[in-house]
Amino acid sequence: MKQKETPERWLLVSLGNRFRGDDGVGPYLLDRLRSQLKENADFLESGNDMVTLVGRWKDRQVCLLDAVFSDEQPSGDLIRVNGLADVIAPSVCTTSSHGFNLREAIDLGKALDSLPRRLEIFAICAQNITCGDHLTAEVKSGAERAEQELLAFLQADTGES
Amino acid sequence: MAGKSKTIKVDYLARVEGEGALYIRYDDHGVHEVQLKIFEPPRFFEAFLRGRDYTEAPDITARICGICPVAYQMSALHAMENALGLMPTEPLRNLRRLLYCGEWIESHMLHISMLHAPDFLGYPNAVAMAKDHPQVVQRALEIKKTGNALVRLLGGREVHPINVRVGGFYRVPNREVFQALHPQLIEARILAELMVRWAAGLPFPHCEQSYECVALSSPREYPMNEGRIVSNRGLDISVQDYEKHFREQQVPHSTALHSVLIERGAYLVGPMARYNLNYPQLSEGVRGLAEELGFKAPCNNPFKSIVVRCLEVLYALEEALRLIDGFQAPDEPYLVAEPKEASGCAATEAPRGLLYHRYAINREGKITFAKIVAPTSQNQKTIEDDLRLMLPKFMHLPEQQLQGLCERAIRNYDPCISCSTHFLQLHLQHEAKRNS
Repeated sequence: MKQKETPERWLLVSLGNRFRGDDGVGPYLLDRLRSQLKENADFLESGNDMVTLVGRWKDRQVCLLDAVFSDEQPSGDLIRVNGLADVIAPSVCTTSSHGFNLREAIDLGKALDSLPRRLEIFAICAQNITCGDHLTAEVKSGAERAEQELLAFLQADTGES
Repeated sequence: MAGKSKTIKVDYLARVEGEGALYIRYDDHGVHEVQLKIFEPPRFFEAFLRGRDYTEAPDITARICGICPVAYQMSALHAMENALGLMPTEPLRNLRRLLYCGEWIESHMLHISMLHAPDFLGYPNAVAMAKDHPQVVQRALEIKKTGNALVRLLGGREVHPINVRVGGFYRVPNREVFQALHPQLIEARILAELMVRWAAGLPFPHCEQSYECVALSSPREYPMNEGRIVSNRGLDISVQDYEKHFREQQVPHSTALHSVLIERGAYLVGPMARYNLNYPQLSEGVRGLAEELGFKAPCNNPFKSIVVRCLEVLYALEEALRLIDGFQAPDEPYLVAEPKEASGCAATEAPRGLLYHRYAINREGKITFAKIVAPTSQNQKTIEDDLRLMLPKFMHLPEQQLQGLCERAIRNYDPCISCSTHFLQLHLQHEAKRNS
């Protein structure tokens, strides 16, 4: 009898700075997901170190959690992007140390044959990224809605209940 | 009644990762003015350390830099231990050295591959370079990953580690965890040797300078955490005497203070200075490779600093292997001290060079004074001197090439002003053209 294949684990990666207001939404979401998914996924709080990410994400299924600024959508809204298929808008290209951003990380991954197999970006529209360790109310509730959508997505993908 | 004089003095440390600009005024007779302008606003770390507990200094100062947080932690905790009279045990000392190896590897590899190498190969950035030279970038990232693993293991995470404390570490991993890194370090050492060979084959502009090199030095080892401060022009002082010989001064065009040697002015810190002053302390293998490739110290061409960084990475990997092989668990993860009114200072070798901290604390252990002198502020004057001395030899170049060369000359220092490979607004002003 053919054994049922174990679903591939997702690597959930947060970008952003916990101490810059809504920029901390990625780590906030990662903490919540970690407590729910426990051993069923891998977790990485990446700050903005895109170079390290290029070394980590090769051939993985990756979900990036980040804050984004949008002129068109209100704060707290979720923007979903397929990182490998869609054009990454500059607003999603978080600047990292030494200015190496997400779009460049993807380009570098292509050049080095080091891309993730799938790259789903869950970006939450931010309002305030000044210093501070708390999210605005809109972004916090947006993160909680994003969490439900992400869990549903992972559940549908892995077939796990 | 004569008014009592009052002074409001705000000490600040201008961190320079961020925006910078360069202004050069020259004509056919020479260079008249060079200003490396740093206009990053002051970040007030020295001010907001005041009133905080002495135990917080390593973690607060680590936030000064995302690339070399370990250096800030090391200088802070050595300074606090100097104040409190704590002497780290040999096993703790070795673990700190291991952590520093991790940071040198991470920081140097990032600079070499992502920021510096494109200059030599004629690419606008690392992504463009990686398309034609994927192996170079892949190797560098593999080596960097090993540095990250060391920092993660001892520091708790790769950036802004959280496991370091005054007196030692919060927690020390066991021997098995260290041994598990052994194969990765061996592999990285092989790659690092290839990186040295590759870097040595790059084309370098002819640019020999005459520096006063300043670095820590110890008869015991290549310096990271300890040593006397020495130079190739006769300086040989204990860290406690640093402020008798070095002075920070303000210049109108920079929010970062310029540091000078009181006796002689500009000086050089960083990998080249360390290399030139401590070459005999490198391992036999590293020296052998340097000599085989014609890179024996001294090295006074700043463009060749990429080779020196590669050699330091190779050394750090060898040193990490030595320390892991000789690992001895400390009896206690940290030493305890009672706070008392005291002051202390320390200097360690950050990837970019000498990093000096001095603190005073009160009897409750609250910080009453903090002074931090970062490597970039120490090199700032030397960077300007490099440009001043280098430019006359390259005036024949078209303006765009000259601009590129100036940017490269600054990147030789891996300054923390840089957030990208193209950080500079360059204003080249040719006097004759301006007046015509």
